[in-house]
Amino acid sequence: MSELIIPYLLTVVFVSFVINLVIALYGIFARPTLVKKIIALTIFSDSLNSLAIFVGYRVVSGRVPAPPVVVNYTSPQGPAQLAKVTVDPLPQALVLTAIVIGLAVTLFMVKVTMQVHRIYGTTSVRKLERIEHGNKGEEDEGVVE
Amino acid sequence: MIDLIAALLMAVAAVTSIVFTYLAVVEKNLIQAVVFSAVQSTMYALIYFLLMAPDIVLVYLPVGVGIYPAIILLLIKKTDKVDE
Repeated sequence: MSELIIPYLLTVVFVSFVINLVIALYGIFARPTLVKKIIALTIFSDSLNSLAIFVGYRVVSGRVPAPPVVVNYTSPQGPAQLAKVTVDPLPQALVLTAIVIGLAVTLFMVKVTMQVHRIYGTTSVRKLERIEHGNKGEEDEGVVE
Repeated sequence: MIDLIAALLMAVAAVTSIVFTYLAVVEKNLIQAVVFSAVQSTMYALIYFLLMAPDIVLVYLPVGVGIYPAIILLLIKKTDKVDE
């Protein structure tokens, strides 16, 4: 019976990640505040990382696969044993790097948002667009004069 | 049996993370949105543990539950409190 239920539950997990991606994309494009956009972008990147880890997961019949970091594979038979009992270690290594890079990018965006608020007094992109259009109109009038 | 329980916990955590992602995106109060995002990160950390990636959990839990909410709360304190 568990041969039927486990693929179903793993499909639920996969579809949940995709739904999270869609909701986060909605948050990035539809919400006006830059802070909300940053929150949605972190959720988006985490969902993509989760999909990468999920691709590396492997179902071992009858039991849970071992994590690759705790298996001793220095013996000659090591790699074959690693491939038999653990999940794929490559996506985990990539995601570990991606999380740290995402942290750096988020810090950069936080700093840029602080500067935007300091200069324009708002973080809403709708108000920023209005301010930008207002400035452009004044400049055009100045050129005409 | 143990793999069935692991898959079941994974599915429950994934569905809970959908709820908290939705709440974090539609919430008007930005501080509450950050808290919902932190809860969603906790759910993801549980999923990573059940997907047999304990090294990812060790990195993701401080980053996703500690540093992201901290810096975004600092940002909210210096800028607007409410989404429009």
